[in-house]
Amino acid sequence: MEKNDHKSPFFKSWNSWYVLVIAVLALLILFFYLFTKQFS
Amino acid sequence: MNPFDWIVLIVTLLCTILYGLYKSRTTHNLDGYFLSNRSMPWGLVLLSIMGTQASAITFISAPGQAYTDGMRFVQYYFGLPIAMIVICISFVPIFSRLRVYTAYEYLENRFDGKTRTLTSFLFLLSRGLSTGISVFAPSIILSSLLGWNIYWTNILLGGLLIIYTMSGGAKAVAYTQQLQLAIIFVGMFLAAYMVVNMLPENVGFFDALHVSGKLGKLNVITSGMEKADGGGYRFNWSDQYNIWSGIIGGFFLALSYFGTDQSQVGRYLTAKSVTQSRMGLLMNGLVKVPMQFLILLIGTLVFTFYQFNKAPILFNQSQVSKIENSPLKDSFYLARDAYDSLSVQKQSAVIAFSAALDSGNEFQKASTAEYLQTLQKKSDSLRAKVKGWINSKQVGGDGNDTNYIFLSFVVDYLPQGLVGLLIAIIFLASWGSIAAAINSLASSSMIDFHKRFTRKKETGEDQYKLSKWYTLVWGIFCIVVAMFTYNIGNSLIEAVNVLGSLFYGVILGVFLVAFFFKNIKNGSAVFWAALLGECIVLLVFALAKFKVIALGFLWLNPIGAFAVIGFALLLNAILKRKRAIGEINTI
Repeated sequence: MEKNDHKSPFFKSWNSWYVLVIAVLALLILFFYLFTKQFS
Repeated sequence: MNPFDWIVLIVTLLCTILYGLYKSRTTHNLDGYFLSNRSMPWGLVLLSIMGTQASAITFISAPGQAYTDGMRFVQYYFGLPIAMIVICISFVPIFSRLRVYTAYEYLENRFDGKTRTLTSFLFLLSRGLSTGISVFAPSIILSSLLGWNIYWTNILLGGLLIIYTMSGGAKAVAYTQQLQLAIIFVGMFLAAYMVVNMLPENVGFFDALHVSGKLGKLNVITSGMEKADGGGYRFNWSDQYNIWSGIIGGFFLALSYFGTDQSQVGRYLTAKSVTQSRMGLLMNGLVKVPMQFLILLIGTLVFTFYQFNKAPILFNQSQVSKIENSPLKDSFYLARDAYDSLSVQKQSAVIAFSAALDSGNEFQKASTAEYLQTLQKKSDSLRAKVKGWINSKQVGGDGNDTNYIFLSFVVDYLPQGLVGLLIAIIFLASWGSIAAAINSLASSSMIDFHKRFTRKKETGEDQYKLSKWYTLVWGIFCIVVAMFTYNIGNSLIEAVNVLGSLFYGVILGVFLVAFFFKNIKNGSAVFWAALLGECIVLLVFALAKFKVIALGFLWLNPIGAFAVIGFALLLNAILKRKRAIGEINTI
C-alpha cells in the first residue's frame, strides 16, 4: 500500500460500505432461510 | 480422457504458465517480488484474495459435500463478511502505516522479537503442511479417477506452478489468479448448465430443486438444535455446520485467516492504497457467500441427476476394488444389488414426483415425496453400511467418497472437451492457492527469519535472488508433504480447515491483544499466553477427537483466541505486579 489514501469510493464514508456488507449478508441469510423452507 | 480432452488440458495449462511468465517482470528487490511494488488495483486484489482462498478442494469437495450432506456447508462462510469489516477497520490501516511486508513484522513493533518469531513459526508450520495437503488432495482424486501415477500427479500439480511463482513473485501470482478464476467460473457454469440440460425433458431447474429439497439436500439454514432425551431441544455442540457455528466460529476463522495468515495478508498488501485494499476485502465479503452457495447448488443438481440415472453405491472405484478383494466381498455384492434395485425404484418414484409437481395435486405431491424419502433412506443406509465395511479392519480402506462424486460425474457424463476443461480447472484452482501460499511462505521465511538473523550484508538484488530460492524450497517442501499425506480423514476441505483451526485461533489471539488491549505491552506475557493457548487448543482438540467431549472444529478458533487473551491479561497483571514489587524493593 503505497499511498495512505483512505477515501471511500461511491459513499461518503466507509461506514456506509460496512452497513452495506452487513445488510447483504442479512438479506442472503433471509433468502437462504426462505429457500430452505420453500424446497425442503 | 480422449485426445481432445488432453489437448484442452495441456493448452489451458501451458497458456497459464506462459501468461504467468509474461507477467513476471518486476523490480529486483523485496518490494517488487513480494508486494508487486504496492501497485495493484482493488479488482486484482479481490481476484487474488478469492483465488488464494478457493483451492481445487473447493471445487471438488464442495459439490460432493452438497451431494452427501446438503447445502448447509455454506453457513461456514457467514462469519466471513463480518471479519472483512473488522480487518478493514483495524488491520489494514496499521499494516499500511507501518509499511510491513508480513503481518508478523507488526508484532515485533508492538511486543518483541520472540512473539514475532513464534507467530511466524506457527504460520510456516500450519501453512506449509496445509499447502502440502492442498497439493495431495486433487492429486489423489485425479490419479484414482484417471489412473495417473500419484507421484507424477503430485509433481505436476505442485511443481509446474513453481516456474512462474519463482520467476514473478506476487505479481505473477496475482495475474495468473485473474486468468485462472475466469476459466474456473466459465467451466463451472458450463458444468451446471450441462447437469440441468441432462435431466429428463419434462424436468426443469425448479423441479430439480424440489427433488433435492424433498430429499434433504437444500438444508441451507440449520439451527444446530436437536431433540433432547428428556424432551425439548438442546444445542448440538458437535454439529459442524449450523448458523451459529458459521457466524461465530466462521467469523473467528475468517478473521484469523484474512487478518493474520500471510498468504492472504500478502495479497492485500500489494494494493496501491488503503482504499484499494479495503475495497478488495469488502467485495470479497459481498461475493464469497453467494459464490459458495452456487458451487454447492451444482452438487445438489448432480444429486438430482443421479435420481434419474443409476448412481454407483460408492464413487471411489479404488475402494470398491479393495472390498472386492476382501472377505466382505459377498456382503458387498448383495448390498450393491439391493442398492441398484432401489435405484431403479427411485427413478420411477422421482418421475412420479415430478409429474405430481406438474399436476399441482397436493395429495399426490405429499404421497410421492414420502415414498421417495423412504427409498432414499434405504439407499443412504446401504451406502453407510458399505462405507462402514470399507473402513473396517477387514478391508482397511477409506469409505468416504465425498471428493470423488463431482469428478466421477464429470468424467462419466460430460462431453469431450469439457472433461479436459474441468480437469484443467482442478489444476488451475490448485495453482492459484498453492502459488499464493508458497509466495507467502517465502516472504515470511525471508522477512521474519532470514533478514533478522543473517549477519551478511545483502543488497536488494541479493535478497531478490534469495527470495526466489526460498520460493523453490517451499514448493519442493509442499510436494514432499503431499507425497507423505494419506488418509487424512473425512473431506479434504475439512482436513485443511481442521489443521488451520489448530493454529489460527492462537495467532488471532495474539493479534487481537495487539490491536485491542493497549495496556498489555509485555512481550513475554503475550509469548507465554500464546504457548499456553496453543496447549489448550491441542488439549480440547484431543478431547473432541477421542470423543470425551462433543465439539465441532470451528469452535477451536474462538477457544484459541480467547485463551490467548485471557492468559495475556493474567500474565501481564502478574508480571506488572512482580515488577512493581521489584521496584519497591530496589527503593
